[in-house]
Amino acid sequence: MDSSVPDFVLFLGRFHPLVVHLPIGFLFFAFILELYGRWIKNPALSMAITLALFGGAISALAASILGYMLSLSGDYDQSMLDTHFWFGIATTLITFFAWAIRSGRLNIEKLNGLKSNMAALTLVVVLVSVTGHYGGNLTHGSDYLVKYAPFGRTEKVVLPPIAKLEEAAVYDYLVNPILEAKCASCHNSSKKKGGLSFQDTMAIKKGGKNGEVFIAGNVAKSEMIRRVKLNPHDEDYMPPEGKTPLTDEEKSILTFWIDRGNADFRVKLANLETPEDITSIASTMLGLEDATGKSGIPLPKVQAVSAEVLKDIESTGFKIRELIFESGLYEIVLPPQSITSKNGSELDMKLESLLPIKDNIMWLSLKNNKVQDKHLKTISKFVNLQKLEIEKNPITDTGIGEILANQSLTGLNLYQTKITAMSLENFAKMKRLKRVYAWGTAITQEEVDRFAVNGNSPAIILGM
Amino acid sequence: MCDHHDKLRSNNRDLQSLESQLDRREFFKKTSLGIGAIALGSLLNTEKVWSAVDPYAGQQNSVNAFAKNKLGLPHHLPKAKRIVYLFQSGGPSQLDLFDYKPKLKDMFGQDLPDSIRAGQRLTGMSADQTAFPIAASTLNFKQYGESRAWVSDAMPYLSEIVDDLCFIKGMHTDAINHDPAITFFQTGSQLPGRPSIGSWISYGLGSDNNNLPTFISLVSKNGSGQPLYSRLWGNGFLPTEHQGVQFRSGKDPVLYLGDPENYDGNDRRQMLDYLKKLNGIAYDAYGDPEINARIAQYEMAYRMQTSVPEVTDTSDEPDYIFDMYGPDSRNPGTYAANCLMARKLLEKDVKFVQLYHQGWDQHGNCPGGVKHQSKNTDQGTAALIKDLKQRGMLEDTLVVWGGEFGRTVYSQGQLTDTNYGRDHHPKAFTMFMAGAGVKPGFSYGETDDFGYNIIKDPVHTHDFQATLLHLFGIDHERLTYKHQGRRFRLTDVHGDVVKDILS
Repeated sequence: MDSSVPDFVLFLGRFHPLVVHLPIGFLFFAFILELYGRWIKNPALSMAITLALFGGAISALAASILGYMLSLSGDYDQSMLDTHFWFGIATTLITFFAWAIRSGRLNIEKLNGLKSNMAALTLVVVLVSVTGHYGGNLTHGSDYLVKYAPFGRTEKVVLPPIAKLEEAAVYDYLVNPILEAKCASCHNSSKKKGGLSFQDTMAIKKGGKNGEVFIAGNVAKSEMIRRVKLNPHDEDYMPPEGKTPLTDEEKSILTFWIDRGNADFRVKLANLETPEDITSIASTMLGLEDATGKSGIPLPKVQAVSAEVLKDIESTGFKIRELIFESGLYEIVLPPQSITSKNGSELDMKLESLLPIKDNIMWLSLKNNKVQDKHLKTISKFVNLQKLEIEKNPITDTGIGEILANQSLTGLNLYQTKITAMSLENFAKMKRLKRVYAWGTAITQEEVDRFAVNGNSPAIILGM
Repeated sequence: MCDHHDKLRSNNRDLQSLESQLDRREFFKKTSLGIGAIALGSLLNTEKVWSAVDPYAGQQNSVNAFAKNKLGLPHHLPKAKRIVYLFQSGGPSQLDLFDYKPKLKDMFGQDLPDSIRAGQRLTGMSADQTAFPIAASTLNFKQYGESRAWVSDAMPYLSEIVDDLCFIKGMHTDAINHDPAITFFQTGSQLPGRPSIGSWISYGLGSDNNNLPTFISLVSKNGSGQPLYSRLWGNGFLPTEHQGVQFRSGKDPVLYLGDPENYDGNDRRQMLDYLKKLNGIAYDAYGDPEINARIAQYEMAYRMQTSVPEVTDTSDEPDYIFDMYGPDSRNPGTYAANCLMARKLLEKDVKFVQLYHQGWDQHGNCPGGVKHQSKNTDQGTAALIKDLKQRGMLEDTLVVWGGEFGRTVYSQGQLTDTNYGRDHHPKAFTMFMAGAGVKPGFSYGETDDFGYNIIKDPVHTHDFQATLLHLFGIDHERLTYKHQGRRFRLTDVHGDVVKDILS
């Protein structure tokens, strides 16, 4: 349980996982030979069974002894360990018993004629399987085997999705997922490395063999933080070699929780003074924003689009670029002068072809393509549109009225269009709109200045 | 003994097994051949032969196709679609342009305190000076715009648009001489051979206009001073089609675009189709990705026959545009004309346009030199930014202005009331950015009263590169390329995104 166990014993104990596989192999092989022997009578076979059983018994004994040594480390859950322990002992004893019967060293009158060999071996195989299963649970955790099983999968506790970052409970939404991903495979209720478990809040507060895992409000004295921040080659470094280390972002979240959050399990981000970098990391973790490091408009969640649909759109002359890998969010560009006075009617059809992906379009450029007010009606259906380039088109104030309802536009390029100052108040109605480019329109600098005086957004950008 | 047991085959199995064993002579014969083959292999640049054949090489389209690309890019939502990088080669004097240090006036001529230099390595050009007299700038500084940014009177046009600029006053770099410093800035390594920033972006994001190169470099004509080399826009170990294409600085940016007499586009198309077939056969035989690059470049050249005359023709630009860029803009190949050309290329969605302007190396006659250089570049730079802005392109175009390092506060050579020289200074200098995703009217970082050391918010060359890639939606740690058994990236193992300058 503690340092009174000599290192050498623990060293030997660690060979247990290696040696246990010997009896498993021997005994299953003996069982197979026994089955085989029912069809093929061969004295050599009988000898082999005896030998396999003997090997199985000896290696089972060795595995039991080593297993006991390993259990002295105290890294395992006591009740699960007990089951494994007693099944292991039983397996070893029954194996010796089976060997004794098979080799004829033990002859029990009553068993004669009862197929004692087969019965004993079957029992051995069952025992080995059960022992092995419990051993596996100890090492990998009790949910390891069935975690990906197609049946009876227990749903994990699903946190309700949150709309605003401030609502997130620091522990549940940020800290716990990190511990689950990076620590809990060795520190759980069944496998308690260093006596530490991250199974639930009680266990975390309890700490491990080396005492408390953190000191609320004191990062410098928190063992957990010390260990993850060590040089990776240090013996105390966590997670140990071969496991995925924590990222810098994850470390700052843990630090933030212990330091600012005082390691409170219920505190919400809203109750804490949150530095900008933490906000940024947190919103990235929770998928709340555009990952540019600033909390802005959250990225819309959209359905993926099939390649066929995209090919169809491309064949009508659009250029398509995915804005973030596998996000289903696209930039769509119609090359300038694709529409001229000759094929003016085609634009309706082209825009119609975009409707299947109307939610997926985030940037759209239709500059210099004879876009008219009526076309903006179609564009108004693109609810996630953030940037719209429709400069050098015969668009009037009426057209702007069509896209009023759009609440995600941030940038609108209207230079060299036919809009007038009438549109200014409409721009102000578009909540997220930051910049409108209106060089070469009827809008004058005085009108823009008057508009800006009232503290109105967006910024209207003219030119020379 | 010459006809060895190879030919003597026994029927007896035991004897056969003896025969099949190697004897001493056989061993040497086989191994020496083997070693020879290995040596030959390395001479022949086995990389191309043994590297896993990249099925995407030479196919720009597949990289920027809407479908899943193999690089998993962009990593996050980009702010920038294109960039124009105005490289001021030689190392512009930040102390005479943007980094205003009024206290230096009182210290004029005094020796630079050792506590400031702190044993800093100097170049061979001023290391043996007995004194390091402080040279306050003789240029006049004023504050401009709502952002109250300090700009010297060398840059009258730029001072009008400071509210669109984001100054980084705490730039620092590792190298103190031109060649390693400019190579470091453009490729992330002081030693030649790595891909330039533009090549990385071309490799990572592909093209937005298949008729023009993704990466184009323009060098101001009649440049003197420190030399520029094509490796600054080179592709290093990346596939060759990601190399920057240099346009000539003159009337014809690309030569031989026209077809010879009695030879039309169809003939060329036919010729190229056959050539492509032949190259395809060669590729199947050797698997050398350079063959694919060659095919891609032939095709690009073909398309450029029509796209280049279109984009380089400035005849449809109105006079007021020329006037904005200044009189030089009517003279092809000058910095101003290149700025105008850059705008036209960016309008055509060329992703990376890199300008170079030489001559910012004021070891002597610094005030005059800075004024001269500014005169040639100030109006063009400012006009380009204004022009991009009024067209709405500053929304997603990043503008970068900067050199490879800064200049010293002490005078190199003799200091007089009106004249001084300045040596190379890598420890602190100023750059500015504008446009896509950077804060306008903002100044980041601060130097001490001498402009010698950074006292707040330093930005290293690698940080700058990381930030640049970030604005394009690229995580600089995840854009890598495996070469000679190791994965390389632009920022090597360094670089932090400067989040504070992002809008």
